[in-house]
Amino acid sequence: MFEEKLKEFEPIFYPKSIAVVGVSVTSIKAGTAWVWSLISAGFPGPIHPVGSKGGRFANLEIFPNLRLVPGEVDYIIVAIPRQSVLELLDDCVAKKVKAVQFFTAGFSELDAQQGHKLEEQMLEKARQGNVRIIGPNCIGVYCPEHKIPFPMGTLGETGSVGFVSQSGGIAAKLVTTGIARHINYSKGVSFGNGVDLDASDFLQYLAADPKTNVIGAYLEGTRDGVRLFNTMKEVAKVKPLVVWKGGRTEAGAQAAMSHTGSLASSAAIWSAMLKQAAAMEVHSLEELTDTLLICQQLKHWQGTRAAIIGGLADGGGGNSVSAGDACTENGLRIPLLSLETKQELSELLGEVGSILHNPVDVSQAQFRGLATLFQAIDLVARDTAIDFVLIQEDIDILLPIYSWKGIEEINEFFTELGSRQNKPIIVILPPGSAEPERLQIEQKLLAASIPVFYSMERAAKAISKLNQYSC
Amino acid sequence: MIKSQNVLTEVESKGLLKKAGIPVVEAKLARSKKEAISISKEMGFPVVLKINSPDVVHKSDSGGVKLGLANATQVGKAYNEIISSVKQAYPEAQIQGVSVQPMASPGVEVIVGMNKDPQFGPVIMFGLGGILVEVLKDVSFRIVPLTERDAREMIKEIKGYPILEGYRGQKPASIPKLENLIVKVSQFVEKNPQIKELDLNPIFAYPDKAVAVDARIILE
Repeated sequence: MFEEKLKEFEPIFYPKSIAVVGVSVTSIKAGTAWVWSLISAGFPGPIHPVGSKGGRFANLEIFPNLRLVPGEVDYIIVAIPRQSVLELLDDCVAKKVKAVQFFTAGFSELDAQQGHKLEEQMLEKARQGNVRIIGPNCIGVYCPEHKIPFPMGTLGETGSVGFVSQSGGIAAKLVTTGIARHINYSKGVSFGNGVDLDASDFLQYLAADPKTNVIGAYLEGTRDGVRLFNTMKEVAKVKPLVVWKGGRTEAGAQAAMSHTGSLASSAAIWSAMLKQAAAMEVHSLEELTDTLLICQQLKHWQGTRAAIIGGLADGGGGNSVSAGDACTENGLRIPLLSLETKQELSELLGEVGSILHNPVDVSQAQFRGLATLFQAIDLVARDTAIDFVLIQEDIDILLPIYSWKGIEEINEFFTELGSRQNKPIIVILPPGSAEPERLQIEQKLLAASIPVFYSMERAAKAISKLNQYSC
Repeated sequence: MIKSQNVLTEVESKGLLKKAGIPVVEAKLARSKKEAISISKEMGFPVVLKINSPDVVHKSDSGGVKLGLANATQVGKAYNEIISSVKQAYPEAQIQGVSVQPMASPGVEVIVGMNKDPQFGPVIMFGLGGILVEVLKDVSFRIVPLTERDAREMIKEIKGYPILEGYRGQKPASIPKLENLIVKVSQFVEKNPQIKELDLNPIFAYPDKAVAVDARIILE
């Protein structure tokens, strides 16, 4: 599906050469930072700085005009004032540039009339000259595989999650959150005002891209809702699509004479559209990244029957109860364990002080050693009544009982157990006072493809979203 | 009162809907008391009389609706009352007469409507009728065109769904018939882009059918 987009977008995500327009050595300019970011990231092709005053930057010649750049240029990043953009588009056409991304802001988002008019003129020039526009008012492309970072941004590892974002700030935050939580992107794009290429175009590309398995999106509005709806329907058929619609409270319902008109708020219609397109709707950056993380870590897995282990030593009681609430409220089930599992658990842990229902209390194992703890968790994971195990691991509680070495062993066991039982082990690591140790554990588990969340509530929500996907 | 050339009367609206295969309680226009009585006799009592004017949107607010009329005398009296009270409430309203329709036996009241979203075009709304739609806003939406699955999901999405399944001895409503009606409305508005807004309110849902009792179409 949308295979034609792969070739069309090749110069955007895999350009052979990039020119950056708006570079100066005498004053601090966004273009200068961009050149530096590309060099630091190790972009594999030629980088050509362009700036009216000329000179040299980072050992590269600054060309006073785009037309003077030698050889072919696939992709241009533009950070110049808006009054110069039409002239620059003429240069792009003359130079046979394939795509141009405008960081330049101050168009329709600022001034509805003037800005809109200028955007239309840009589009007309671009269409005539066969140049594609990304933006304006955006930070463009992120492609770790081809070493293209966001400006002033770090490159994360290459992965399988793709994203589109109307906002540059959210796009950049997705990347940094991804680096912190091992959400590894195939590519992403911030498309700003989307005068030419918009969300639909990039969603189609990501649907076709063989390196992308999951797609996230942050959207505020659309210029062509029908096309977006039809695109999402097609995209969600082939890949999980997670959408966060910002600006849900905007006044969208106009004065209407019918009941239907007065009840049809913009937020209600967006939610209906997403549901109808089989996209998963989320309402915050946290929900978006949680859902992308679990899609990435568990791929095509689905399951609703949870075993809950609220704690590995003391203090898991209240947490088990609230975890049960979180699961139930998100449509997950907490089935009873089988009789055999219960019998084996009671033999292992002793009847006194242990609650061998589900949520399961394994805290008695702390008096019998790690081997007993592992056996108990293994018994729970093996039970055929359950699809996955949710385990809360509170480093603050575990450190004095098991020491750092014991905690490391516990987490190695989780990794081994997950692959041996072929059932997801989902770990909750709540932030606390032992933050450096907690972070180390989080990184290790994430690298081993185990989903890690900060609360049972967030885990339950993400698992529930994953189960919404129906292809 | 809304003065508009674009508002179709109930009789006109139902005529278009019927042609599109959407089940409606048929309403006939009576331009005089005599006509109202003869149409009533043809239809069989009891009947309902409603003011027929493009200018009167909230018909019952101005005394423009009389229900459960059991004989010719009652119909004649109701005709006079409707005309005089609407004339009093809206002296400028253009009155074409009254619509006459059979009194539908009570069913579960639902509403199906269409409105145009500035970003996504025509959207269909579904909800339970009466107070539930107005106060609780217990409604669901889907973008046109709707599949049968979309229709089924939007029916099940409302909080009041158990009422449709039959509540406290009330007879259940046929969900397939409602689905079918919703899909037909979707097709109808898709084929007629000049329709700006539409309300089928109420629709009576029965165990074996769903019928629009009142209908309003507003053109662009």
